Parts: sequence; structure tokens; C-alpha cells
Amino acid sequence: MRIVYRYLPTLSLIAMAACLPLVLNPRGNALRVAATALLFAAVAQAWNIVGGLASQISLGHAAFFGIGAYTSTILYLQYSLSPWVGMVAGALLAILAAGLLSVPTFSLKGHYFALATLAFAEVMRVIANSWVSLTGGPVGLTIPFGGSNPLLFQFRSTAAYYWVILTVLVAICSVFYFMSRGKMGYRLRAIRENEDAAEVSGIDTFRVKLWSAMISAGLTACCGTVFAQFTFFFDPDSIFHMSGISIRMAMIAIIGGIGTLSGPVIGALFLIPLEEISTAFLSSSAAGVAQLVFGLILIVAILIQPQGIVATWPGLMQRIHFRRSH
Amino acid sequence: MSFIQSLIDGILIGGVYGIIATGLSLVFGVLGLVNFAHAEFLMVGMYVAWFAWHYLGLDPILAAPLSFAVVFLLGYAVQRHLLDRVMKASPTAQIFLTVGLLIVLENAALVIFGSGFRSVNVPYQVESFRLAGLFVSAPYLYAFGATLVVNLALWLFLERSWIGRGIRAVAQDPMAAILSGVDSKRTYRIAFGLGVGLTAFGGGVILPYITVSPTVGGQFVVLMFTVVVLGGLGSILGALAGGLAVGIIQSFSALFFPISLQNLVLFIIFIGVLAFRPQGLLKGA
Amino acid sequence: MYALKASKLNIIAGILATFLLVCIHPAFGADNEVTIGIVQPLSGPNAQFGINAMHGSELVAETINAQGGIKSLGGARIKLVVADVPTPNTAAAATQRLISQNKVVGIVGTFVSSTTLGVSEVTERAGVPIVTFAFADQITERGYRYVFQVSPKGTAFGQAQLKYAIELGKAGGEAIDKIAILYEDTAYGTAQAKGLREAAVEAGIKVVVDEAYPLGITDVSSLVNKVRTSEAKIVFPVSYLNDSLLIIRTMRQQQMDIPVIGGAAGYIIPDFRKGLGDLAQNVLSVASSNHDLYPDLASRFKDKYGSFMTHEALMHAASLAVLAKAVEKAGSKDPEKVRDALASTDDCDGFARCVPGGCVRFNEAGLNTRAFPIMVQWQGEEPVTVYPKEVARAAAVWHAKSGR
Repeated sequence: MRIVYRYLPTLSLIAMAACLPLVLNPRGNALRVAATALLFAAVAQAWNIVGGLASQISLGHAAFFGIGAYTSTILYLQYSLSPWVGMVAGALLAILAAGLLSVPTFSLKGHYFALATLAFAEVMRVIANSWVSLTGGPVGLTIPFGGSNPLLFQFRSTAAYYWVILTVLVAICSVFYFMSRGKMGYRLRAIRENEDAAEVSGIDTFRVKLWSAMISAGLTACCGTVFAQFTFFFDPDSIFHMSGISIRMAMIAIIGGIGTLSGPVIGALFLIPLEEISTAFLSSSAAGVAQLVFGLILIVAILIQPQGIVATWPGLMQRIHFRRSH
Repeated sequence: MSFIQSLIDGILIGGVYGIIATGLSLVFGVLGLVNFAHAEFLMVGMYVAWFAWHYLGLDPILAAPLSFAVVFLLGYAVQRHLLDRVMKASPTAQIFLTVGLLIVLENAALVIFGSGFRSVNVPYQVESFRLAGLFVSAPYLYAFGATLVVNLALWLFLERSWIGRGIRAVAQDPMAAILSGVDSKRTYRIAFGLGVGLTAFGGGVILPYITVSPTVGGQFVVLMFTVVVLGGLGSILGALAGGLAVGIIQSFSALFFPISLQNLVLFIIFIGVLAFRPQGLLKGA
Repeated sequence: MYALKASKLNIIAGILATFLLVCIHPAFGADNEVTIGIVQPLSGPNAQFGINAMHGSELVAETINAQGGIKSLGGARIKLVVADVPTPNTAAAATQRLISQNKVVGIVGTFVSSTTLGVSEVTERAGVPIVTFAFADQITERGYRYVFQVSPKGTAFGQAQLKYAIELGKAGGEAIDKIAILYEDTAYGTAQAKGLREAAVEAGIKVVVDEAYPLGITDVSSLVNKVRTSEAKIVFPVSYLNDSLLIIRTMRQQQMDIPVIGGAAGYIIPDFRKGLGDLAQNVLSVASSNHDLYPDLASRFKDKYGSFMTHEALMHAASLAVLAKAVEKAGSKDPEKVRDALASTDDCDGFARCVPGGCVRFNEAGLNTRAFPIMVQWQGEEPVTVYPKEVARAAAVWHAKSGR
């Protein structure tokens, strides 16, 4: 009973979110924006596992996102394999890639690691662009529509995509939650506070970081598959995009609150609708203004509240209590 | 023949990569942070030189010192008002502050200058010197010459001036430098201004052969990082040598691989060096 | 410590609520308006082309409105809703927004082929017609019902680029046996290069250099070295502006004066001439249209926006006109009826003159079968149509030493 009570707020929030398509027009724009926000919350949470928990700042997670999108789409187009199966295949491939990438990069710290991951995403982009027989090259891949078919990950209404994305988000958040607790969480925290000290006290830091990197990459690839199915089209430039994908997922986690469970969700619910509204209202008059605003938000967030939106709340509450007590 | 031609082209463009990357390396060496927005200062430098050419009729290579001056001040202000605050913060805050700066600079340029490509028009753009069947491109040669002059000036500045010595002292051991009376904050600001200024100077000298637009930084960002990593992050001489190496690699790889894979070659070297010799290939072991 | 606390739930709920409030505002658009969506890259590297294209569509919409709007709908005015799509991954979201929020009857755009592929995946599922100028072959090869393309296919441009060159060369007294193809590795570059290659095989011409290069290349000297040592008689570069300036300047540095026949995009915009000055003189390029085919409209464009009307502006003007005419014919704002009217378009007057040949008729795939590529040449300050003969405004100058 106590467990139920403990998780009650979270569960009721998930239930509320699941009911959203019943309130909104199931084929309308608002629902699509909501689905996009949840998708980016999911991918930011996946990034958060390696960026927040293991404190390894990756600027190249688009590599895994793209691996997920390409694997499932190529398997579907060339071998008529359902994207659901392709999603698992993509995740496995991304885990493998993350494992291989870890060998040379995980001794790198901070800025060096960020640089190496950035280059890795670029390598993936060049390969996708040049290996035309496999990836279709620079033209990109489109996902043909053959009517609603849940087994083939094809739906007519946005609501179905929304529910799939919500499920993915809940799953990734659960992974994050369980990784941040227990032995694994303890080890990750130790590494985050002081890696050398953690190593000395008997934690196999390489193994712990490797695990989080592989789990993060696999989950990011799952999101990539969902993204491809949801937008029907992608090309090497857009799926491996540095600012559009890699930086964006990190930015969401950071603005929401890096290393926290709710941070990426809050960050995405704040940034994605803001982005949507500003591009809808500004794009015909002043191109670039919307992006400019995002850059400013990122800078201000880091200078004023590096812990993200999540952290402003307790502070605000405290201040209110403080005033009251006087 | 084509080997020698490639070597000449490689050395000339490599020298320019060197000066562009020296600024990035200087910033890392002194401040200990990787400035992801660095290529955007190249873009600003190019715009300054373009306006100087357009309105004052100044040759872009002669306008490059003006690019340096303007961007030095901009960099000084950025360090003073933004980066100063994260010098002791986590790498996450440092990385994403410069990433934010990248987004702001690129889009501010788009809002202010518009999206059009701007190119200068100077007579030597289409000239070259012929040497026994080889071509030495005039704009490449002049750009290379200008970078040599600046390198010499930088060396003199760092070796002989008090500020230069302060910069080197902070780069070597910040604590010791502070204890011996170096104003570290001021040094950081000058070093950052100098770093982005040098890159902006590079922007001026390449303007005769590269058009400027708000997204031009993206064309150089990976190149710049590869040069710096190859030469060893923080090493100025390394950056120059790395620039030459990248120029020559780029030029030679075109002889053996399709040019569309040119960047792939660079990236793989980049990751490899980062992983196995993070102190840089060209730095003495 | 990572469990969701009640206080954080409040934030999430609060954000959700605000977001809902903002998103559920009613679709605007009064009864006497027909809303058409314009999707173009207005920021990012292709912004300049997107803005030109948007201006072309705007000019036509203004003209139609000034002439009394859509008459079958009681003089309804055309209202354009513009969406900026700088990269293909924003295409789906923007298109969905135009369709479900602004209730557009159809969409015009985009300049970029890959973005158009993304947009048309959404319009196909939603059953809303899109009229486009972009010409990657895949756009009309997917068997889609709602896609209409006013320009010929990308490979057709590549083929024309070579075929016209051979004929112009013949007229100029030169037989072409070896050529060089240089193209950027984008959807547009690869499609057009494919056409060039095919046409070369067909004509029995040897392709001595066939190189893709990365978009945003900063040094083309090795590329030009290859062309020089290959002894190609003509260079066919397919690229945007920066690369086109680089290629031509580097060729001049290496004292090469073989003809350059550009592949549209960067070769026929005002900045090409601004960047190269007199070196631009006599450079040939394939194009989907040219301002001298429709001087009245082009001069109004120039008065309003300050430069000559580029081919993307002309073709997007035609695209909007075709869509508006379909609405007129359907007498309805129902996208399905507008699609049917578009499918039966057979139009040879008015703004159809923006398209070479002056006619628009779509085949089953949605391709305009009446359109054909043209060849233009920089003569003086602006490009002039020089081929095919029936639309030529001046004779081509062959193999004149470019510039000075």
C-alpha cells in the first residue's frame, strides 16, 4: 500500500498525460506538438543517463539516434521487416557502436570526450551520405504510407503515435530511475563526485561508465526509430545534425535539470512548445529570431541556474516560506 | 608533378588553418576550456573585413587587422561578462555556455546581416604564379604570407611583452602566476580576446577566396578542432604544425580518395589522435 | 531522491496547462479568404533561395487579390501562411501545423528537394495537395496522388545540361568528347549528376572526371587540378553559390578557359555576378526558367524586391498561380476537390508563362509534361535565355575567353 502511495503522484500524472488525446483533436496540431515534446523528453532522458548520471558530456548522440532511424527504416524498406523489430535491431547496433566507441574515448574527460563524440556523429553523417547503396545517400529515406497498420508501426491518427511515444518515455524514465538508485546509482554518483576517489575505493569506473553509455545509446536509438516513423522522412544531414539533434537533446536536459528524473521532461515541455510557437509566429517575419532566443535562454539558464528549471522550484518555495516566517 | 602541386596547395592552405586554430589552442591553453563558439568569431571577422572592403575600399588582407581589433574587443567583453562566471564551474556549464554562444552569434548574424552570401572582388583572386608548370595561387600565397607575419608578431608578444609573459605564466601554472602577482582575470580576458581575434584575423585573410554567410563557421568548426587536437590542445606551435599537417593531408587525400570522403579521413584521424595521444601527435612525448 | 516530488508535478502540470491554452486557439481565416501554405527555408544555408521563392509566390498572390481574388468563391482573397523550414527534420511538424491549424487548401514549396520529400509525406497522408518546384526524381516517383511538380525532373536537368551544351558547341564549331562533372553531395547534386552521366553515355562522350565533393568545401584546388590534368573540354559543376565562385576563380588562377556550364542553383542568382564581376560573363547554366521569358512580371518583381527575378521565384510564382487556378476551378476550399482540379490542369495562359513553353499540364505522377529545361548565359548584368531556339532571346556566345 505504501508503495502505491509513494508512486501515486507519478502514476496519476502518467494517466493524465495518457488521456490528453481524448481532450485534444486526435489529428490536430496541438497533439502533434505534445507528442514531439514527449519524444524529445524521452531522448533527452536517454542522454541524461550518460550526460547526467555518468557525467560524460556527449555532443554526438545524434549518431545513435540516426543508427536507430536508419536501421529500422532500411530493414523495413529492403526486407519488409516491421519497424518494431527494426527498433530492437537498431538498439542493439547502437549498443555495439557505443561499446566500440567507448574503447578509445572513455579515458577522455570533459571537453575531450565532448569533442570525440562530436566527431563520431560527423563520421556517421559522412558514411550515411556516401554509402548510397545502403542508405540512399544524401536524398534520404522516406517511409511510405500503406494505411493504418499497428504491426508495421503505421497509424493514421496522431493519437496512436502519441501513446507509443508516451510509453517509450515512461520506459526510459523508469530505466533512469532504477539506474539512479541502488548499487549502480551509488557507483555513478561516486564517479560523478570524484572519479579518482571512486576508482581507489574499488569501483570499476570503466565498467560502470560503459554500461551507462551502452544503455543510453540503445535507448537513444529506439527514439530514433520512433522519430523516423513519426516524421516519415529523414536524410543524413538532418538526422545526424549537431545543433538540431545532438545539442538539442542535451540542451533540454540541462535547461530542465541535468541528472534529475524530471529535468528532461520539464525541459522538453518548456522548450518544444516554445519553439513551436515562436516558429509559427516569427518565421515569416524574422528568420533566426527563434533560434537566437534559444541560445539566449541556454546562456541565461547556465549563468543563473545551472541546475535547471527543476532547481528553481524548491528555491522559490523556500523564499516564500522565509517571507511568511517573518 | 601533381604530388608537388598538392604539397604546395596543402602547405599554403594549411598555414591559414594554422592561424585560425592557434586562437582556439591559445584559449584552451590559458583558460582550460574548449570554445565551441570559436568558429563563429571567424565569421564575425569575415564580416568586419567584408564591410571594410565594401565601404572603405580596403583590401581584405589589409582589413584583417581591423577584424582582429573588433573581435578582440568582442572577445574581451564576452570573457568579462559571460565566461568569467563559469571559470570554476563544471565542464558541463563551460561547454554549454560556449554552445549557447555559438547559437546566439550565428543567428544574430542571420538577423543583422541577412542570409545572403557576400564575396569580395579583388584582382588577385584569379591570379597565380607559375613555376615550372606548377601553379601557386595568389590569394593562397598572400594569405599565407599574412599569417606568417601574425605568427611572428604573436611570438614576439608572448615572449617579450609583460602581458604575454603573464599569459604564458597562467597557462603553465595559474596558482603560481597569481601568487607572483599576475592579475589572472585580466589575463584571461586578454587571452580570450587574443584567441578569438587571431581567428578573426584568419577570417579576413581567407575572404578573397571564401564567401561569408552566417553559417560559414560550420564549414570550419571540425577542421579547426582537428588541427588543434593534432597539434595538442593548448600548444601554439602545435596548432601551426597541425594546420600544415591538416592542409597537406587534405590535399593529398584528394589524390587517393574521392573528395567526398575528405572529411571522413580527417575525423578518423581526429578521434584516433584524441583517443591514443590526447596530448597531440606533434607535441614531443 | 530522484522520485518525482509533488512540487515538481505542479510545474509539469502548469507547463502543460499553459501549453494547451496556447495551442487550442481557433483556426483563423475568415470566410472570404482562401488560405495557402508557403513552406520555404527562410533561415539556414538555403535561406536566400527560400526568400526569393517566397517573394515570387507573394507577388502572384497580390496580383490575383488586386484583380478581384478567387471569383468562383465570391472574390475570396488569397491569404498566404508562411512556415520556415530550414532543415528537412522540421518539415513534418511545420506542414502538419499548416494543415490542421491554418486549414490550408494546399501548399506551395519548397526550394529544397529533401525538404519537399518530407513535406509531401505529410500532405499525402492528410490528403492536401502540394505544388512544388523542387526536382529530385523521387518526388514524383513514389506514385503519390497529391504531389504536383511544375518543373522537369532532376535527371532531365542533367540530361539537358549536357545535350544543350553539345548542340551549342556544335553551333560554335567545337566537338565535345571529354567532360568533367563536379557536384556537391546533396539530393540535388546527385540527381543532376546522374542525368549528366546518363546523357554522356548515350552521346558516347567520355566522362574523365566525375567527383562528388562535400557541401561547404573550402578548398577546390585539388578538384580543379584533376580537371586540368584530365584535359576535359567542358566542366559541368552542379553547386550552390560559394562552391561555384570557388570553382570558377580557381579555374581562372590555373589559366583554364574551357567553358563552364553550371547546374542552376548558384550559377543564376544575382550574387553570382556580384561575386565574380566580369568573370561571370558568358558562363552558361541550365535553368528551369528565366526572367526574360516573362518581362512584365519580372520587371514588377525587380521594382519591388530590387534584383532580377530568379528562376526559383518564377517557378514558385507559377506554382502558386496553378494552385490558385485550381481553387478557382474547383469553386471550393476542399483540398480533395482542389487536388482533382489540379490533376486536370491544362493551362497555357496567365502566370503559366513563368514556365518555359508557357504551359502546365500534369501527368498521372503529377509531373508537368509541358515544361522543359532551358539554357541561359550571363550576358551583361543578367542571364539571358539562349537555348532552345523557340524560347531563346539571344544567341549563345561559345568559348569566348571568359572575362577580361
